[in-house]
Amino acid sequence: MDESTLVRHAANGDAAAWEPLVLAHQEAVFRLSYLLLGDSDDAEDVAQETFLRAWNHLKRFDVRRPLRPWLLSIASNLASNRRRSAGRYFAALTRAFRNEPTSSASTEEKSARRTESSELWKAVQNLSVPDQQIIYLRYFLDLPVTETAAVLQVAEGTVKSRLSRALDRLRGIIQQDFPVLAEGHEGHEV
Amino acid sequence: MTELQQELFEKQLVSIARGMEYPRTPDISGSVMRRLRPSAQLRFVSRKIAWSLAVILVLFSSLMLIPPARAAILEFIQIGIVRIFRTEATPVTPPQQEFPSTILPVTATPAPTSEPLIPILERLAGERSLEGAQQLVDYPILLPSYPPNLGVPDRVFVQDADGDLTILIWIDPENPTQVLMSLHIIPPGSWAVKKMDPTRVQETTVNGQRAIWAVGPYPIRFSNGNLDFVRLVDGHVLIWTDGEITYRLETELDLEEALKVAESLEPVR
Repeated sequence: MDESTLVRHAANGDAAAWEPLVLAHQEAVFRLSYLLLGDSDDAEDVAQETFLRAWNHLKRFDVRRPLRPWLLSIASNLASNRRRSAGRYFAALTRAFRNEPTSSASTEEKSARRTESSELWKAVQNLSVPDQQIIYLRYFLDLPVTETAAVLQVAEGTVKSRLSRALDRLRGIIQQDFPVLAEGHEGHEV
Repeated sequence: MTELQQELFEKQLVSIARGMEYPRTPDISGSVMRRLRPSAQLRFVSRKIAWSLAVILVLFSSLMLIPPARAAILEFIQIGIVRIFRTEATPVTPPQQEFPSTILPVTATPAPTSEPLIPILERLAGERSLEGAQQLVDYPILLPSYPPNLGVPDRVFVQDADGDLTILIWIDPENPTQVLMSLHIIPPGSWAVKKMDPTRVQETTVNGQRAIWAVGPYPIRFSNGNLDFVRLVDGHVLIWTDGEITYRLETELDLEEALKVAESLEPVR
């Protein structure tokens, strides 16, 4: 059964049709929430809430559209609302950094890549929330511009211009505060 | 950054981001399905209720064939989405005894009353003080400075619609049972913008930006969690945007006056 058929069944109250859709998209929704919140427990809560809200509003969803951008859009908004509670956000970040994976990798290269990714995440967290959202969607979740535009509910041209500005700012932050990244990967400056 | 530099930078970002270690994705589907099952059962019950309602509708249609009954029934049908009965009968219960303010319920069958169309503010979710609302939302709450004697809103609500939307309400000082004007401030990304779906009347401009002068209800959340499409003022709606924020002004004023209100928005002093 294809996605739109499952969505149609789910919109008619068939919970069994909703389950495979949750399974198909839970990883993307959870990962985006985790990137935005920095805490896996909070991310799990937001991911659950995303699928429950989507279920409750399925009747109004246009089944001709792909489901993932809509789900990511809900998750992104829920995560942004949640992180407005500054105490919770900073506590989560502290926990995230404390629990950062130790370098138990089998090779030095793997370990270095992980350090770089972690540093990049920290650098992105210095950006505004809209800048973070667009960078997570486009580069961390590897969404195409079209889908990123659908999540953010803006035109593709707007995504490109926002990305360009966000990248400028990110580059500035990296050059100033993240020497590991500025020195670059495999000898290239980032 | 040149285009080439940006392209290179993007490639490197993707390459580094791919190395990101995420926690294992928890069993979200299991948790969601456990939480959904009770509501799925409720939906089944709802279907039974729907059948009962269908039977009642048939009876209702039969009653419509009887002239005196039809006359009485039409009194409330004409009110539209705010389900208030208007009959000539003596009110059974004065509204102020049942409700703290000037408000009538919208969903339950209300007691007959001779009151005019009254909004349902007491049942709306998310009431705040103006200051409390400003602390909650991450955009500046702007207030109209026109008409000059308007003052601050009498009621303020902040509702979650995938983004915190603010509803400002001014009560008519000459008729405290009526809403004079309501202003909805809707942040970007909110589904509420898409759900407004007004009946388009005409295009206009606010501060040089495209705007729509329309009629139509708006989704508002009630304190019981239900969402309903409601008009707080029996008039027109002016919808415009300023940056990423969408504004929706509901008013009995004519277009010229509504535009003056819209263009007079300024930060809270």
